[in-house]
Amino acid sequence: MGYHWNWGIFLEPIPGGDETYLDWLISGLGWTVAVSLTAWVLGLVVGVAMGALRTVNNRWVVALATGYVELFRNIPLLVQLFLWFFVVPELLPKGLSLWVKQDLPAKEFVTASICLGLFTAARIAEQVRAGIQSQAKGQRMAAQALGFSGFQTYRFVLLPVALRLVMPPLTSEFMNVIKNSSVAFAIGVIELTFVARQMQEESEQGIETYLAVTTLYFICAYLANRLMKVIERRTQIPGTVGGGR
Amino acid sequence: MIDINGVSKWYGEFQVLTDCATRVEKGEVVVVCGPSGSGKSTLIKCVNGLEAFQKGRIEVDGISVGDPATNLPKLRARVGMVFQHFELFPHMSVLDNLTIAPVKVLGRSREQAVTKAKALLDRVGLAGHAAKFPGQLSGGQQQRVAIARALAMDPICMLFDEPTSALDPEMISEVLDVMVLLAKEGMTMVVVTHEMGFAKNVAHRVIFMDHGRIVEDAPKEDFFGRPHSERAQQFLAKILSH
Amino acid sequence: MFGGLDFSVVPASLPFIADGLMFSVNLTVVAMIGGIVIGTLLAMARLSDFPMLRAPATFYVDAMRSIPLLMVILWFFLVIPLITGKPIGAEKSALITFTAFQAAFYGEIMRAGIQGVSRGQVWAGQALGMNYWRVMGHVVLPQAFRNMLPVLFTQTVILFQDTSLVYAIGAKDLLKAADIAGKNYNRPVEMYLFVAAIYFAICLFLSWLVRRLQRRIAILR
Repeated sequence: MGYHWNWGIFLEPIPGGDETYLDWLISGLGWTVAVSLTAWVLGLVVGVAMGALRTVNNRWVVALATGYVELFRNIPLLVQLFLWFFVVPELLPKGLSLWVKQDLPAKEFVTASICLGLFTAARIAEQVRAGIQSQAKGQRMAAQALGFSGFQTYRFVLLPVALRLVMPPLTSEFMNVIKNSSVAFAIGVIELTFVARQMQEESEQGIETYLAVTTLYFICAYLANRLMKVIERRTQIPGTVGGGR
Repeated sequence: MIDINGVSKWYGEFQVLTDCATRVEKGEVVVVCGPSGSGKSTLIKCVNGLEAFQKGRIEVDGISVGDPATNLPKLRARVGMVFQHFELFPHMSVLDNLTIAPVKVLGRSREQAVTKAKALLDRVGLAGHAAKFPGQLSGGQQQRVAIARALAMDPICMLFDEPTSALDPEMISEVLDVMVLLAKEGMTMVVVTHEMGFAKNVAHRVIFMDHGRIVEDAPKEDFFGRPHSERAQQFLAKILSH
Repeated sequence: MFGGLDFSVVPASLPFIADGLMFSVNLTVVAMIGGIVIGTLLAMARLSDFPMLRAPATFYVDAMRSIPLLMVILWFFLVIPLITGKPIGAEKSALITFTAFQAAFYGEIMRAGIQGVSRGQVWAGQALGMNYWRVMGHVVLPQAFRNMLPVLFTQTVILFQDTSLVYAIGAKDLLKAADIAGKNYNRPVEMYLFVAAIYFAICLFLSWLVRRLQRRIAILR
C-alpha cells in the first residue's frame, strides 16, 4: 500500500507554531459546533415562522413564504454560501458594504451561520407546514370559536402540536445541519473539514486525520440525536404515541 | 395426494396449529371451515410451503414439504393456489399474468402459453379480456383470472384460501360456478371457505377447525346431517341461519 | 443595488460554463443510474434473511448517512490512489464517490418501496413456482420502482445540487467553472449570480416535473 502510519501525529506540533495537531482538531470541533448551533437556532426561528405563514388564509403571504422556500431549496448550499460571502456585500448600499467587507468581526463565521441558518429554515418550514396541515381542520375552528386571534391560534393550538408531530424530521434536520456545516471551509471558517484538509496536506497522515475528523462528526451527530430524543420525551403529550393526535 | 401428519406451528410463543392430521385423495374435494383465527388459512399455506411449520410432516404427491432438501419452487409449480385478495400482478395485463409463470418457470414457449391462456380465459368466461389490466376488472373477474392463472400451470391439485370472502355478494356465484365446474372435472381441491352451499353441492368431505385443531373431519353427509362435536354444531347453526 | 454590475462577461464565458455544466449533469446521471442499481442490491441485502448480508449493508448505509458528504469526497480522493497505487483525477474520483454515496440513499428509497409491496404479491409469485430472484425481478421490483419514482427523482434533484461539493477536490464542475471564469474576467459577482440562476432554473424545472409525475400517478391509482 505504500502508506506510512503514524498515530502519534496528533501530539506533534504544527510546523511553524507551537500548537499540536490535536489542539487544531479541538478548535476545529469548536467552530463546527458554533456554526451548527447558531444556524440551528436561526433556522428554527425563521423556519417555524415561514412554515406557519405558508398555512394562513392570505394568498399573498402564502405566495411570499412559498417563494422564500423555493428560492432556498433550489440552489445548492455551497453556491448560496458563495453568494452570501462574495455577492451580497457588493449589493449592499455603499456604507454597509464597506463595513461588512472590512469591519465585521468574524465575518466568515457570521456569513456561514446566516447562510446555513436560512437554508435550514426553508427545510424546517416545509416540515412545520406538513405538521400544521396534518391536524384536523376542526382544531383551527375550535380556537377561532373561542375568540383567539390568528396569531393566538398558531401560538397556543396549532404550533405546539405541529412541533411535537415533526420531532423525528426535526431531529434529522439537526443532524443535517452538523453535516452541512462542513461547507463553511470554503470561505475560510476553520471548522473540522477545513482542519481535515490542511492537516492532511501538511502532515501527510491523511488516514489518521480523516478517521479522527469522521469520529468527531459521528460524536456530534450522536449527541445531537440524544439531545433531541430527550426534548422529545420531555415534551410528549400524555396519552399519545407520536406526541400529536 | 396430500398427506398431513401431526402438524403443529408456533408464532413465537403462540401456537396457531396443534397436531393437525388428514389426507386428501386424488379427485377429492375437501372444504375446510371454522371461525376466524382457527388456523385454516395457515394450514392451507403450509401445504405448499408458503408458511413453515415446526412439527409434523406434510407430503404432496409423495414429496415432503417440510424437508429442507425439497425444491420448493418446483413443487409449488405443480400445486395451484388462489388467494382471498386475488393477488393478480397489477403491473401486468391479464394475458401476461397468465403467461409469465408458464414461460419463466415451466419453460414453455410464448405461443404455447398464449394459446393455453386464451383457452383458459374462455373457460372461466372472460374471453376477450386478455389485454386488460387487473385495475380495470371487477373483483369477481379478477378472481376468475386468478383461477385461470393457477390452472395455466397444469397443477395436480388446487388450494383455495377463502376465494370469495373479499367479493361483493353479486359476484360470489360467478366464481363459485367456475369452482364447481373444476370439481366436476375431477380436480383435487382443498377449499377454505364459509360458503356451505358450495360444500353441500360438490364437496366430498368437510373439515372443521377451531383454535388451531382439526375438530371434525367427516364425509359431507355426516357433517351436515349429524355433526359429532358441539363446536361444529354451534358453528353450523350460526352460519346456516343466513 | 445592482449598479456597477457588468453582465457582459457572461456570453464570453459561456463555452467554459457549458463544459462545467456538462460535467455536473454527467456526474448526476452516472451517480443516479449506478446509485439506483447498487442501492437496490443494498436494499435486498438489508431485507434478506442472511445476517452476513444484512449487517454490512446496514452498516454501509448508516455510515454514508452519518458522515458529511464533503468528508466522503475527501476520503475517496485520498484512499483510491492508495489502493490502486496510481494517482486519480478529481473528476474520476467524483464519479466513484457519488455513485457509492448515492447508493445508500437510493437504497433506502428502494427498501421502502420493496417493503410497500404487499406480502400477498410475494405469495402469489411463490405459489406459481417462482424462486426468490424471479419473484423479485418480475413481481416486487417493478412495483417497488414504479411506486417510488417520484421520491427517486426528488433524490436526483438533491444529488444534482450536491455535485457542487466536488469543489473541495478541484473537479471542474459548474461551480468551479464560475469560480475560474470569475477570476479570469475579474467579475466573480456576476459569474456566481449567473451560475446560481442556472442551478435554480434546472432544479425548479426538475421539481416541477416531479410534481407533475406525482399527480399522474395519483390519478392512475
